[in-house]
Amino acid sequence: MHATIQKPIEEIVDHIDPKEKVFVVGCYNCAWKCHSGGPEETEAMAGRLIARGVQVVGYATPGPQGMSLCKLDNTRKVLKEDYSEQTRQADAFLVLACGQGIHTVIDATDGSMVHPGCDTIFGGETVSATDIEEFCSLCGECVIEGTGGLCPMTLCSKQLLNGPCGGAENGHCEVDTEKPCGWILIYERLKKLGRIDLLDPYRKPKNHAKWSRPRRLRVGPDEATFVSLAGKHTVNNRN
Amino acid sequence: MKITRLFEQGVFVVTSEVGPIKGAVSRDKTIHPTCAREAMFLQHNVHAVNVTDNQSAVMRLGSLAASVLLKDKGIESVYQLTCRDRNRIALQSDLLTAYSLGIDNVLLLTGDHIQLGDHKEAKPVFDLDSVQLLHMAMGLRNGYDITGHPIENPPDMAYGAVVNPNFDPIELQLIKMRKKVDAGAEFFQTQAVYDEAVFDRFIDKAAVMGRPIQLGVVVLKSPQMGKYMNQNVSGIMVPQSWIDEIGSVDKADRKKKAAEMTGRLVRKLKDRVQGVHIMPLGWTDVVPDILAHAGIEVKRLAFAA
Ligand code: SF4
Ligand code: SF4
Repeated sequence: MHATIQKPIEEIVDHIDPKEKVFVVGCYNCAWKCHSGGPEETEAMAGRLIARGVQVVGYATPGPQGMSLCKLDNTRKVLKEDYSEQTRQADAFLVLACGQGIHTVIDATDGSMVHPGCDTIFGGETVSATDIEEFCSLCGECVIEGTGGLCPMTLCSKQLLNGPCGGAENGHCEVDTEKPCGWILIYERLKKLGRIDLLDPYRKPKNHAKWSRPRRLRVGPDEATFVSLAGKHTVNNRN
Repeated sequence: MKITRLFEQGVFVVTSEVGPIKGAVSRDKTIHPTCAREAMFLQHNVHAVNVTDNQSAVMRLGSLAASVLLKDKGIESVYQLTCRDRNRIALQSDLLTAYSLGIDNVLLLTGDHIQLGDHKEAKPVFDLDSVQLLHMAMGLRNGYDITGHPIENPPDMAYGAVVNPNFDPIELQLIKMRKKVDAGAEFFQTQAVYDEAVFDRFIDKAAVMGRPIQLGVVVLKSPQMGKYMNQNVSGIMVPQSWIDEIGSVDKADRKKKAAEMTGRLVRKLKDRVQGVHIMPLGWTDVVPDILAHAGIEVKRLAFAA
């Protein structure tokens, strides 16, 4: 899921022109789970804005429950059809979702002005109803076959691929005494799995062209194509 | 002069270290920056002087400029190069530049994280890790850049690496050391060792890897510094006995005491290593004293050969 956190209300209000009519949009998937942009927060945001003198023409969290705002056809239908009257009056959309959701609103409304209501912080695992943790940095070239499934690009502060730096102390990373050293986590996991040998081979430098932005993915039932500065990369999903 | 030639001749190699100044070198040649003055103390007492690369992620004069400055003053330097601030293009370019400017010794490191320094909001690079950096340096020596393109006049320098005997679990640090050896590391300097037990559990397993190892020691200047290091310097623990001992003498006598304590440790351990790397943190003037306490005479003859 995409982890998001609301921007402080003062910052949001500061970015809205007093003459602007605003429609507030939330997301019924990730931002809902983050309590940053579900139906409740979206409605509340409309009220908080009105209380601060912002002209709010409406609000919506495109459903059903579990629906992502970044699913363009659904968002377009909701904003352009279900809420067509209110969205037509809107000069801008305040979006309580990740950056993907914000762009979806641009596409769904044929290029309207948008204001981000959240900071998008990472893609993470929903460990519990209250905790989201980051285990992947979306690098485009997964290397965790060699690390027992734990990502050194994410769990190691220096993204080292060939083992730890010398900085860990008492199992903690040199950047933060609260954060475990990612390489010690990897080591302990492999030890438990009896696969310390996985640490021996040399790991080549990563192909950062695969981590270039923006990237694209074309998907189909038989094959998928990943497009980055590293080129087009097609794989068959069936044979 | 490559310090690997000294190791080959069986010389016990003594190096020390200076940190470049936070500022530029004066155009007035009569004004020597602090790091050069510190190095001048060392000149006749060590084989080479490490020059740190924005150590602890604190922005300073470049290690290459300072290394060249020392060379110009007749002091052999060990140019430290870290992965923190440079991608693979900059790292290779800096290695070519170093060789072109007369540098013979390079120490290749990961580098302290930006969070430890004075520019916490900077973007960390870490495009390569230290093992990959060693591989790349060997590639350049063999005439190819990291993408396989041939280069003109391949640079040939001595390439060293670092290992931390304090690391727990030590097995993990030794796996990394082995990878550095396989990647081409020609000598090792250890992080600060204070504790014999730490050294004991490390040295035999490291020694079998067949590369010369220099014992790294950091001069403990005061009990406050010991406490500070334990709280703020990652990966190193100063034992309480050291903190107590340096605290047992008046401030005025601390240099003498620090030299005695450091020298005593080196004397005990020196037969199991091929050299010593003394990190005096500015107190370069105590290095001769440390060596005297340690019973080490720096042999210069071989060096001239
Ligand atoms: S290696 Fe890349 S793709 Fe794999 S978990 Fe880490 S960041 Fe994600
Ligand atoms: S201490 Fe561990 S997690 Fe932190 S940078 Fe070093 S190897 Fe990575």
